[in-house]
Amino acid sequence: MAKDGHPPTRSVLSVELYDTTQLALEKAIEGAAARQQAIAANLANVDTPGYQRVDVDFHQTLQNAMASGGEGLRGATFSPQRDATAQVRPDGSTVDPDVESATQARNGLEYEALVQISKARIDILQSAMGTK
Amino acid sequence: MGLFDAFDASGSALSAERLRMDVTAENLANAQSTRTANGQGPYRRKEVVLQEAGSGTQASFAESLQAARGVRVAGIVEDPTPPRRVYDPGHPDADAQGYVTMPNVNTVTEMTDLIGASRAYEANVTAMQTTKAMFARTLDLLK
Repeated sequence: MAKDGHPPTRSVLSVELYDTTQLALEKAIEGAAARQQAIAANLANVDTPGYQRVDVDFHQTLQNAMASGGEGLRGATFSPQRDATAQVRPDGSTVDPDVESATQARNGLEYEALVQISKARIDILQSAMGTK
Repeated sequence: MGLFDAFDASGSALSAERLRMDVTAENLANAQSTRTANGQGPYRRKEVVLQEAGSGTQASFAESLQAARGVRVAGIVEDPTPPRRVYDPGHPDADAQGYVTMPNVNTVTEMTDLIGASRAYEANVTAMQTTKAMFARTLDLLK
């Protein structure tokens, strides 16, 4: 007990269960899922003449959202955009099945990594709470 | 939206590619058919026309997701290229000069189409497997 009758002030660490990193991880998972959907649509239209491929640049969206912290992250949305830079095939389509497959494999691994990291962080929280 | 929409997109492609294989098989089966069911000359090669499903307008977030949809079959059309004329006077459908009007089916083209459709089918099965693996990973979060 301090002299003035008040309990001694301790420095309290502000703990948020879901901090910005966890939120960013969750948003990145959402982005990777949206990208998988776009790639699936591209592969579905591999034989559609004149089809313009779509992609989700969720890295850029996240980077922009991270600049404005947690609030920016909460409002981040991922939407597929037409990709005008891809090479055009003779039939007018911009889908290259090899490129799509490679992108899909990379995106899948990225998704897996994000979920693993997310799970590791949740496990840490759970062991701290003694629920594991 | 969600991963399940990716399933739908891949699924639509699977049925579209299967239809392409069916039509190719029909073309090959009728490569020598000089008579059609309606009696109008030789068989004409058929082709599947594929179209992107959903609208391309990106007004809102919900609508922009329509841009990442699957594929749909716009229709099956007949190939307008003229039929082949083969000299075979013994054929029951030969004309006065001894020429038979044969279907405009080129077996090499059909085989190439068949391989293309088969590969596209495989690519979409792989896409589905990847989506499934990703979804299974998400379920790991609950463990």
